[in-house]
Amino acid sequence: MESYRKNFRAFLAFFTPPFVWLVLFFFVPLGIIWLYSFGETEGLTKIRLTWTLENYKRLLEPEIISLFWRSVWLSVISTAVCIVVSYPIAMVIATAKPKWKPWLLLVIILPFWTNLLIRTYALLNILGTRGRLNDLLHWLWSAGDRALSLIGLGDYHLLGERFMPVKFLGEPVGVMIGLVYVYLPFAVLPIYASLERLDRSYLEASLDLGASQWRTFRQILLPLSSGGINTATVITFIPMLGSFLIPDLLGRGQVDMIANVIERQFKSGNDWPFGSALSLFLLYITFILLALQSFHAMRQRKREEARG
Amino acid sequence: MNKSESPIISVKGVTKRFGSFTALQDISLDIRPGEIFALLGPSGCGKSTLLRIIAGLETATEGSVAIDGQDMTGIPANKRPVNMVFQSYAVFPHMSVADNVAYGLKLERRPAAEIREKVAEALAQVHLSDFAHRKPDQLSGGQRQRVALARALVKRPKVLLLDEPLSALDAKLRDAMRLELVKLQESVGVSFVIVTHDQSEALAMADRIAVLKDGVLRQLDSPAALYKRPVDRFVADFIGSINMFAVSGQRAEGGQARLETAELGAIAVPSDHLPAAGQGALTLAVRPERVKVGAEAPKEAQGEGGLVSVVGRLGDVAFQGNSSIVEVLLEGGGSLSALVSEAEADHLMQAESGSPITAWWALDDMLILPENATAA
Repeated sequence: MESYRKNFRAFLAFFTPPFVWLVLFFFVPLGIIWLYSFGETEGLTKIRLTWTLENYKRLLEPEIISLFWRSVWLSVISTAVCIVVSYPIAMVIATAKPKWKPWLLLVIILPFWTNLLIRTYALLNILGTRGRLNDLLHWLWSAGDRALSLIGLGDYHLLGERFMPVKFLGEPVGVMIGLVYVYLPFAVLPIYASLERLDRSYLEASLDLGASQWRTFRQILLPLSSGGINTATVITFIPMLGSFLIPDLLGRGQVDMIANVIERQFKSGNDWPFGSALSLFLLYITFILLALQSFHAMRQRKREEARG
Repeated sequence: MNKSESPIISVKGVTKRFGSFTALQDISLDIRPGEIFALLGPSGCGKSTLLRIIAGLETATEGSVAIDGQDMTGIPANKRPVNMVFQSYAVFPHMSVADNVAYGLKLERRPAAEIREKVAEALAQVHLSDFAHRKPDQLSGGQRQRVALARALVKRPKVLLLDEPLSALDAKLRDAMRLELVKLQESVGVSFVIVTHDQSEALAMADRIAVLKDGVLRQLDSPAALYKRPVDRFVADFIGSINMFAVSGQRAEGGQARLETAELGAIAVPSDHLPAAGQGALTLAVRPERVKVGAEAPKEAQGEGGLVSVVGRLGDVAFQGNSSIVEVLLEGGGSLSALVSEAEADHLMQAESGSPITAWWALDDMLILPENATAA
């Protein structure tokens, strides 16, 4: 990597295009957004830079705080579910026979190659009141009701007189199902990587010393794969926090997250300065989380290096 | 050691197959209380698999293992009265040295004071008392191995299993650790079962050695017996160094057998010297320290069996300090090596390389080995 110094022109040739790209399409727009966040709207289309802090003060309004709060807890719960669901999946892949591993990983990665919009519409079809999931629940209800009739309890209608479809869309639970579904691969892969790297003899040593399987899982496997869990947490939580399409489609305007409100400021709300402040606030939260994560990862790496 | 004592581990007819591959074939052996027992063989011979079967980390396809008279079939690793020191040591990286050692004791739900006392005692035993609060990443490889030893021994196992305990250490530390392991075994008194691919390690440490090859137990004996009376060509070749000559033809002649070799010509040996069991072509073998060299073989026969002598030319002389290895290039092709004293080597060094030389040895010192003594 040091050789670029010897051939500065080649270095320039490779370095310049991405640098220009990054400046032009990332840093400049970001700077504009930053300036907007200190501005005021004037009329319909003009924004005047007045260095006002009004936009940031509005972040403290109760609706905005509750919006942030909702985004955070939806993301926290979805992340937790993601991790809990991914861990066993990652374990199965990590312990599978070598010839099966690529195929199992492919199954996990496959949804990535399908457009998010299409996947989310597919979820609409599944989660609707007349969707496939409710069809399944209806079938289960009928089976349960029939079983109760057979044992003579039919008259009590223990499962309700009629099947009541469960409402997923426009409810937090629907959004969370969508978030978990979409971000699951992000969680599986880092956990899989950390389990794959793990020396199996740690687990065998624990068993050999008399520990049960459960204790070995809790005291050895879980702490030794904490690096993967941390990575998985960060790289699912951050995009979840900023997700737009899933709450938009599955929340049906009832379960807004930050990004939905930001979008509205730039479009129907026509309040670009406030939208900018919201965006930057989200960015700051993300930065703080990333800094915490990399601090933790650095400590972890140091420990691993010394162990080497 | 009392030979009538009942074995602490009894392996009976253990066979292990992985798919179509047979890792172990019908292994039966007993391990006595208080001995250092080595499982020796080249890599892939199944020795580690056998150790893992004893530990309960692997299940035998056929056969059984009994520990202290109790059949262990179906008993998982965490319920067996043996503990293992892993090749990678497997010292838990997220726990301090003391926590590592205490791990197995905490599982027994002993009182905290007792655990603390036992941990301190175990750490003192492996000279790690000052390191109790360190994390494993602050320890050297040798120290980590001691943690693994203390962690296993603190459980008071009936047998300690060690998987290639010295292979991850550098050469100097390895020699020191050999001695230390033997001393440790003497002080704790439990049997050690050591898996190793290094014959010098097994010879130096073990009371008895089981030599495995391709999942088959070739010979189980004391180090001296393995060296002096290997049962077949593989064991002779694997333990120490040895000169070997393939027998190409064999003819009975009265009470004697005439064995044809390319290098030595025909050699007559008493028929009862021939191996009773085994299959495959015979091999004549003689240890370098039994071979003498000089201008001419002595006329009078030594011992009852007489001498075998062969004429050749002087090859390289490799100086080894108190002795030297002399290479004798044989007329029939090939060469043999002889271990000679320093004085003799000095004398030989004066002769020119390629000058005629005779090598001889007592017939009784020559081994007549089958290819494989165990095969039917």
